[in-house]
Order: sequence, then C-alpha cells, then structure tokens
Amino acid sequence: MSENAPVPIDENLLHATVKLNTLLFAGVCGLMAGLALLCATYLSLYRGLPNPGHYLNLLGVFLPGYSVSTGGAWAGFLWGALLGAISGAVIYRIYARSIRAQVADYFAGNRSEDALEFAVVKLHGHSLGLALGGIAALGLLITTNWLVIRGTADESVHAALFAHYLPGYAVSFPGSILGAVDVFVITYLLCFLLGLIYNGVVALRQNGAST
Amino acid sequence: MQKLMHADKAVLMAAFARMDVVALAVAMGTVCAVGLVLLTVTLLVKGAPPDMHIGTHLGLLGIYLPGYSVSWGGSAIGAVYGWIIGAAIGFAWAVLWNLTHYLYIILVVARAHWWRLMAD
Repeated sequence: MSENAPVPIDENLLHATVKLNTLLFAGVCGLMAGLALLCATYLSLYRGLPNPGHYLNLLGVFLPGYSVSTGGAWAGFLWGALLGAISGAVIYRIYARSIRAQVADYFAGNRSEDALEFAVVKLHGHSLGLALGGIAALGLLITTNWLVIRGTADESVHAALFAHYLPGYAVSFPGSILGAVDVFVITYLLCFLLGLIYNGVVALRQNGAST
Repeated sequence: MQKLMHADKAVLMAAFARMDVVALAVAMGTVCAVGLVLLTVTLLVKGAPPDMHIGTHLGLLGIYLPGYSVSWGGSAIGAVYGWIIGAAIGFAWAVLWNLTHYLYIILVVARAHWWRLMAD
C-alpha cells in the first residue's frame, strides 16, 4: 500500500462511534438547554419585578404549557431538554462528517502514536457553522411561519424586531426566508470565529506544554 | 494492515478526544462578548427616530446585567458580562462533554471486567 493511498476506515467502527457520540451530545445539549430555560424562568420569577416574565412568557406561543410560573418552569425544562437533544443530535450528525477529514489529517501530519493517547478535540469551524447555522435558520423559519399560520403575524411586534439585525426579515413567509439566510450567515461566521479561537488556544497551550 | 489498525485508532481518537476546557471557555467567552457588542453597536449606529429611546428592548438586559445599557459605555460593560457568561457556558459544556466520555469508558471497562470475572 503506497503512502499516498486513501486511509482505509472501518465503516462499522465509524458508524458506531458517531452513533454513540450523537447520543451523548444530544444528552449534553438537552441537559444544558433544559437547565438554561429552567434557570431563566426562575430568575425571572424571583427577580421581584412588577411584571415577571413579560417577554419570556411569549415562548408559550411556541412551547405549549410553558409560562413564567413554577409549573411552567418545569414544562420549560422538558421542552428545552427535548429541543436541545434534537438539535444536539442533528448538530453532531452534521459535525461528524469532519471525522474523516480529521483522520486524514492525522495521517498527513505524520504524528507520533503518543498523539493518539493525549488527543484534544479540534473544532472544525466550517462543519460546526453548517450544523449550527442550519439549525438556527430552520428554527427561525419554523417559528416565524408558525406565527403566520396561526394568524398573529401582524401582532407579532417583538418578532418583527429581528429586522433590526436581519436585513429583509419580516413576520411573513418571504421575510422568514431572507431572515433564515441572514441567521445562517451570522451563525456560520460566529462558529468559524469560535473554531479559530478554540484551535488557536489549544495550539498555544500544547506548544507551552511541550517547551 | 497496520495502517487499518492506525485508522481505527485515529477514528476512536477523533470521537473520544477530550475537549480543552480552558480553550472552549476562552473561545465561547470571546464569541459571546463580540456578539453582545455587535448587537449593541448595531442599534447605536442605526440610531432611533426622534423622541424615541435607542434599544428599548435590548436595554432590558440591564435587569439581569447591572450596568449594561444600549450605549457605547454599556457595550463595553456588556462585553465583560458576555465574556463571563460565555466562558461559564463553554466551561460547563466542555466539562460535561468530557465527563460523559469518562463515565461511558468507565462503564465499558467495568462491564468487560464483570464478564471476564463471570467467565472465570
């Protein structure tokens, strides 16, 4: 087998590891999203404001059963966990496409076997951007069109505020498509930045440790 | 054959590699800080119609982040808050991700030991 031949990968092993990590990532995302919504609701409840959860209550339009109340906080936890887990699974599935590239990088880099034992995750900004950007764009598309379908598009003054940041966005079907494109681009760029900074700090720390 | 074994190891490495907690905290903190600054500065640059406040809704973040407001000074304070919150999220995320892998590996090793014990 020549040195330049493509790296042979055991497809069953790759499939099994991606499946396992999808489950784990979905679990972590679900827990984080559920806890975030639970904490935000309790914070809003006990902040002692005259009208607690004035804005957070609007989430009840999309998450049936949710409200800024003790019971609603736990409904929010369940919704957050469910949506977080689904998003996490989709994100990891898309991100996992970069594993082949990472394996190829390993062989191209001619690294020592020790590198395998102490491997640190390298973030693939492009894959992460595609995954998170896709989820964010889909989320905006679904939520906006839900407002259109239920006939409250004209009253959705808060959703319309997104137009400040997303050129062309409006609470309408064409507006949601333009907004989704904007959200995709912004999320992709932020993920790319995240990957650059993360990989840069990892490289700095590894260089610092080796000298 | 050796390359295939190395490829298997490399696949496992890519899947089970640990997340650098410090790096993710720094990266998430920076991205959140940049995000909050951009949100604030966008409103400041666009301005508001006469006799209207700029960023009435975004300014409500000041309820949770004391000192924050939609102003140039407020955006600097927001950057600090954004960095701290983002770093905390990044830290928690990396710790949870590593922990789930450690727990899974411990579970697999314990199960293998158990079956070996039963076989003996």
